[in-house]
Amino acid sequence: MPDSKSAYGTAAASDTDFRRTWDRSEYEAKAKKEQDERRDDAKARYEAKLEGKKWYKPVDFSSLEATSARGSRLDVASMVGKSTLVPAGAGVGKRGKGAGFYCEACDLTYKDNVQYIEHLNSKQHLVNTGQSGEVKRATLQDVHERLEMLKARKRQQEEEDKRLGEVDIQARIQKAEEIDAAEREEKRRKRNEKRRKGGDGIKKEDQWEGRLGIIA
Amino acid sequence: MAHQADARRALDERGYTGALIRGDNPLKLFEKAVRDRIVDSYYWKEQCFGLNAATLLDRAVELTFIGGTYGVAQKPTPFLCLAFKLLQLTPDREIIEFYLQQGGEEFKYLRALAAFYVRLAWEKDEEVYSTLEPLLSDYRKLKRRTRESWQITYVDQFVDDLLTKSRVCATTLPKINPRLFLEDENRLEPRVSALGEELEELDHDDEERVNGQSDESDEGQMNGHVDGNGLADSQPDHRSDDSMDGD
Repeated sequence: MPDSKSAYGTAAASDTDFRRTWDRSEYEAKAKKEQDERRDDAKARYEAKLEGKKWYKPVDFSSLEATSARGSRLDVASMVGKSTLVPAGAGVGKRGKGAGFYCEACDLTYKDNVQYIEHLNSKQHLVNTGQSGEVKRATLQDVHERLEMLKARKRQQEEEDKRLGEVDIQARIQKAEEIDAAEREEKRRKRNEKRRKGGDGIKKEDQWEGRLGIIA
Repeated sequence: MAHQADARRALDERGYTGALIRGDNPLKLFEKAVRDRIVDSYYWKEQCFGLNAATLLDRAVELTFIGGTYGVAQKPTPFLCLAFKLLQLTPDREIIEFYLQQGGEEFKYLRALAAFYVRLAWEKDEEVYSTLEPLLSDYRKLKRRTRESWQITYVDQFVDDLLTKSRVCATTLPKINPRLFLEDENRLEPRVSALGEELEELDHDDEERVNGQSDESDEGQMNGHVDGNGLADSQPDHRSDDSMDGD
């Protein structure tokens, strides 16, 4: 497949020009660099171990950027109830991608969203993402601008709501009542159908099916 | 001049260096139990990390109720967490005044938050009274979360609680001299109530009624508004304290 020879001769196949091509030399250089770095780190770690010390990767503290607050909520509920295929060791330990919340920068997995958020706030993660854990102090000017921005956003929201939704409280109450009545009708209909189909004897057992053993 | 994204350093008992309030770590204004609940809460960890005085506005405008801790597990409200963050940041006076005035015009919970901070952090009693008393004419409604349920309150009711009660929103407020004491010391002008003229009129009516008829029901009503000896009520009304319970 990598050879672009067609069955009819040595001319390059032109019907696969839409496929992506990769610059091999660039990726080769990248791989070599990473390999060299890893080798140097391993050597330093080994030497420190011989002396009985632990080696830490040197961090350039002056090049770290200031931290800022999160812009959006953390996405913790999107994968609930879904099934994914994971490698065999997924349930064990923190290192590497496993089942749970995965942090790419540090290559760690957390089973709990609380542990995950604590990790995102930790020094280890901040350094790995190039942040310093210090926040820039805000001046009165910054506060002023921020307030203006929030006010503008609030106005926009109000206008959107006005355009799209019903603002009048009475109309909304009426709509909610209609929806409730419709739901009740549906339920009543379903109940009547069920009653017509199944007899009375089965009903009692159904109540307890699956419920035994709950107390245990 | 940057401050930390997290409160870990500030909460550490060993060697706190930073702004002091009443000679101590500002975070100590909240009790240890409340401090622990706040720092362990998900809201604090997710949304109060890395805030500064400007980005705190984002969170403050999303507030929909005030309150201290609620529930069996004493869960802190977002209001309390943001107040704790303000104590950690200790913003400048002008920023707090900005929150109170311009910010508060548009967003009432921001005003409540700033008022809470003023009452906790500012040390000079006169400044606290003179900054918070104009808010007593703000009649907007606030939602308040008590330990087991909800209550409706008003901005001016909340500010009055701050000035008169000893425990508000799960915190014991620092001691403040009563207004009469400050007036006696000439540190403050005597209180001019916004209802000033109306109360005077009620006084006149009251005296006329007493002199004219002995109509029991009317007197009962009048005495409900005015102090017994006929002076305009310049003291905070302690009668309403009994009906407000919970922190």
